[in-house]
Amino acid sequence: MRHKYKTVRLVIIIWMTLVLLGAFSFGGTWLNIPKVAMLEHTARNLYFHVPMWFTMMALTALSAVHAIQCLRTNSPVSDIRSRTAALIAVTFGILGLATGSVWAHYTWYEGTNIWWNFDPKQSMAAVQVLIYCAYFALRSALDDPRKRARIAAVYNLFAFATVPFLLYVLPRQLESLHPGAEGNPAFSDITDPIMRAVFYPAVLGFIGVGWLLYTQRVRLACALMTLRSIEEDNHF
Amino acid sequence: MMASRKSSSWANGAVGVLRKDLQLELRNKSVLGTLIVFVLNTMFLILVSAGRGDLEPRTEAALLWIVIFFTAALGLGRAFLSEKEQKTRLFLRIHTQPLMVYVGKLCYSFLTILCANVVSACIFLLLLGVEVTLPGLFILTLILGTLGLAGATTLLAAIIARTTRSGILLPVLMFPLLIPLLLAAVESTFYSFVGQSFAEGGWAASLGSLLTITSFSSVVIVASVLLFDYVWQD
Repeated sequence: MRHKYKTVRLVIIIWMTLVLLGAFSFGGTWLNIPKVAMLEHTARNLYFHVPMWFTMMALTALSAVHAIQCLRTNSPVSDIRSRTAALIAVTFGILGLATGSVWAHYTWYEGTNIWWNFDPKQSMAAVQVLIYCAYFALRSALDDPRKRARIAAVYNLFAFATVPFLLYVLPRQLESLHPGAEGNPAFSDITDPIMRAVFYPAVLGFIGVGWLLYTQRVRLACALMTLRSIEEDNHF
Repeated sequence: MMASRKSSSWANGAVGVLRKDLQLELRNKSVLGTLIVFVLNTMFLILVSAGRGDLEPRTEAALLWIVIFFTAALGLGRAFLSEKEQKTRLFLRIHTQPLMVYVGKLCYSFLTILCANVVSACIFLLLLGVEVTLPGLFILTLILGTLGLAGATTLLAAIIARTTRSGILLPVLMFPLLIPLLLAAVESTFYSFVGQSFAEGGWAASLGSLLTITSFSSVVIVASVLLFDYVWQD
């Protein structure tokens, strides 16, 4: 079992190294990305910015699944899993916001002083991050671990139920510059095959990195929990 | 026969919880009175700082709904805290089912916040001199928006009643969840202000927003019904 985990971890690390090599290699004919006016080499941000969202979405769903599990079984491990997935999702969300903001500042809003425009995708991600901030604020206000696990799981699921409205309402109210939005060409039409050859592996790679961070933190939290229960047994 | 008796006793429970809360409220008028004073103060702040009559209709709609949201965040957090303070939670848990408590509290929250909203809307329209071209749409938006607010906040109020630092937590928990509701309500209110000046007519344009508000309310209420047990029981 342990060996299997180590093998998967090694595969992810090697995979991500190759993705990074692909993302930054230029010159010659191999992976020489087309130069588009305005985008230039910033187009390489595609390999980082977009996978952040995919990873965040995956972890958000994972967090909700374990919240259901937590309510059904009352198991502390489900609570740890749900909490950790939320934490890693916030991390990826903040990274995605940061990479997107910098990218937009030097391309879409070049020459202006804009860092933040209320693009629907951006707003949705920001709201998602705010919801998880509220989730952790709620956790910090509950002392008893069992009660904390249940109430936090309830809030997690309640928030998850309102997310489809964000997906539906925000694009109707705000204009978007992202590809695939109203009037903008779809992602697959404007992206060169050579870039897609790096982009899809990058998506997989970042989801793998998210999974790795998540499992490492879950293992750490579980080990700490066991340690604490052993300590308590020794005291009494 | 059995089923009808069961459902009538179930409704009795919910009505009982509602009546208890209303009676307590009418006896000392603490929550509603304070809320209305809060609304008056906020409206006065807006009037003094934003001036009179020179605001865009969209800004006016946004200001109105932000006042309503803060009023709700202040007033609705009380719904379950009072049970904790008066130590009646155990009594309710023994004598009623969780769903009865939820429905009773939902109706109580709805009525409280509707009163506060009607007051704030009247003051807002009078003091800022806003002209409502489509009063029917405005009233409908207000009622539906209030339903959504009460539906989402009742479960959150039950959640914060279980925490240790309840005071500041409710706005933090509720505002990010209510952003879709806020956007749709502001848009619909905006159409009720500008009304007929749009070629397509205010009602048609705001139909999407009204549908959004309605479906949002039903989703949060269904989710609350499913999740309330876990918050209410130990």
